Amino acid sequence: MLILKIPSVAAELVIERGDASGLRCENVFLPNECSPLNFSSSNVERLKSGLEEYVLKHRNSLNNKCDSCFCSREKLKISSGVASSMESHRSPGLIVEAVIAISELSESLCFRSSGNKTEVLHFKDFSPSSVSIASLNALTSIDWRSYGLTLVSAVDQVDHALIEWESLPPYLHIDMVIHCYHKQYPGKYKYQPDRHLIKKGVKLALDDLKEKHTGLLLSAHAVKICSYAPDLASSIAGIILSSNDLKFRSKCSTLLELSQSQAIGKQTVEDRIKEKIISVIETNDRKPEKIKEAAPFLFEDDRPQDLDPADLYLEEHAGGDNVFSFPD
Amino acid sequence: MDDLSKSSMKFFSDQQLCFADILLPHEVQARIQVAVLNFLKILSFPDPAISDLPLINRKSSNSRVSEGILTDVSWIFLSHSFCSRSLMKANATKAFIRVWKVMEMCFEFLTQEKRVTQRELFYKLLCDSPHYFSSQLQVNRTIQDVVALLRCSRYSLGIMASSKGLVAGRILLQEPNQEAVDCSACGSSGYAISGDLNLLESLIMKTDARYIVVVEKHAIFQRLAEDHVFNQIPSILLTAKGYPDIATRFLLHRMSRAFPDLPILALVDWNPAGLAILSTYKFGSIGMGLEAYRYACNVKWLGLRGDDLQLIPQQSLAPLKPRDLQIARSLISSTTLQDNYRQELAVMMQSGQRAEIEALYFNGYDYLGKYLAKKIVQANYI
Repeated sequence: MLILKIPSVAAELVIERGDASGLRCENVFLPNECSPLNFSSSNVERLKSGLEEYVLKHRNSLNNKCDSCFCSREKLKISSGVASSMESHRSPGLIVEAVIAISELSESLCFRSSGNKTEVLHFKDFSPSSVSIASLNALTSIDWRSYGLTLVSAVDQVDHALIEWESLPPYLHIDMVIHCYHKQYPGKYKYQPDRHLIKKGVKLALDDLKEKHTGLLLSAHAVKICSYAPDLASSIAGIILSSNDLKFRSKCSTLLELSQSQAIGKQTVEDRIKEKIISVIETNDRKPEKIKEAAPFLFEDDRPQDLDPADLYLEEHAGGDNVFSFPD
Repeated sequence: MDDLSKSSMKFFSDQQLCFADILLPHEVQARIQVAVLNFLKILSFPDPAISDLPLINRKSSNSRVSEGILTDVSWIFLSHSFCSRSLMKANATKAFIRVWKVMEMCFEFLTQEKRVTQRELFYKLLCDSPHYFSSQLQVNRTIQDVVALLRCSRYSLGIMASSKGLVAGRILLQEPNQEAVDCSACGSSGYAISGDLNLLESLIMKTDARYIVVVEKHAIFQRLAEDHVFNQIPSILLTAKGYPDIATRFLLHRMSRAFPDLPILALVDWNPAGLAILSTYKFGSIGMGLEAYRYACNVKWLGLRGDDLQLIPQQSLAPLKPRDLQIARSLISSTTLQDNYRQELAVMMQSGQRAEIEALYFNGYDYLGKYLAKKIVQANYI
């Protein structure tokens, strides 16, 4: 309930004193502390704020945010996704909100690592709910590898789903919350949780996280390619620095945004090239598959270029021309 | 009408030709520098990318044949179909980086004005980047990628051809400022053909030979040289000890231009590999298609051929190996092979057998020389 941060919910505390006078003390208070949320904040903003506090307080085991673990804003990255069903859908008016929080924590005294696991909290119609089959199916059907994650299992633990990841970095922790409701709430409306909608909501949250934070949730493919960046950068830097052509070296410095005035060492040039290559890989990893275009060629030729579709074998295959490709 | 349109097409085939320039070191370095600048520019675009490397496709689908109009020399060349190496393609990343690494190394050698062999380059790359280079073949292919990218000859990159070939016989070869070497007095080992194409270009050649005989195998070359067969029929003997390297082809081509009246005759084993070797001297190759076309020569097939089989005992015939069949299929699909060669190949395939030149020794060790002489005198070559 605290995570949902529903406005204008007050809690009434009544203490019955078991003495003869039958006195009762009543106290009404608002459970929400002073928060940056307006009354008009959307549900998903509230959910986001709620999860953020939940994580900052080590899953509500503390009264206040843990300053030693979360000494800077960068330690916690949070994003959200909202999916709603169309009018033409068999259950129109359904809304799924997903919020994901990623904490990057180094060794800390108070934080007890929960290893490679994530508790996915579930809410339905503004109340805590059990985990639906639809939700479990949605979670297992997401292509986590495109976010650099490998799902081992997702199991129903009654009040939350427990996801186990394969080899998450030790300092990284993921928290997640999913809230399904009908837009007519609190009007009575019966519906079944929708697997596709839940999947869409979670993916939107993941994409939002990736979009806002460079280098986060890189796909396994991108991580692999990035590992080659130092070697590529080294080769190109090697060519630049072994050239005696000052104009060429100067142009390269300009393109790399390096100072022209002083003599620049190979390591500096190499590091700059490496940074740029990794940045491009990370940026392009965020683009949806369908938008990714073929990279431009190194040399433009004015003849129509004919990409050979049969050229899928690049490293070890000799094609059919063995006779004509003996080493010379 | 069909013939007319075919012959007019021959005039236009040169427009399709894609070739590697023979460049000076600073010109090659300029091309590599352009590659670097373009890469960095594209990396810094508002919509940045890691550019792909466009390489001229070295496959038969991109090969064409140029049939000589005024001469009887045909050659294979490559046209303008490209394939690309990309950093981002899974399983192809290393191939992409290998091209840059070879470019880097060649750039350094060119700055130092050094020339290296492919073997030396392999060892240097193995030491510098063991995760990327594991075999000589891989290095050679990457070198061809760089040739296909920069469109400059391998020699221009500072890489010397191997020194495999040998010459013997009635020719005098003189390097600048050196004594002339009489190749008929070199013994059975012959004169070693340098891998330095500039040196070969500068050789002064004099001959009174009437024929040039290209021999597939070293052992046969040695036998012929030892027996001074080149004196019985005035000739020049040449071998690349197997599949012809660029330096041997280069020198043969120079000889064919310097002495155009000398027929060039090939003595190869009777098997698809022998015919493939002959074809390479004759037409060039796809693997080095951007440069090899320059060194095609009008080589004729002296032997061994189908009608020589009667001269050798049945037991010297051996079955064709799977590799032979692979080569044969490749030859059959080639558009350059003339009909009479196809027929010979068909006979090989049908018989399922192969024969080596050495089988002729059944008739005596001096038989080889006699065989050669007889065939030459009878002009029994195709």
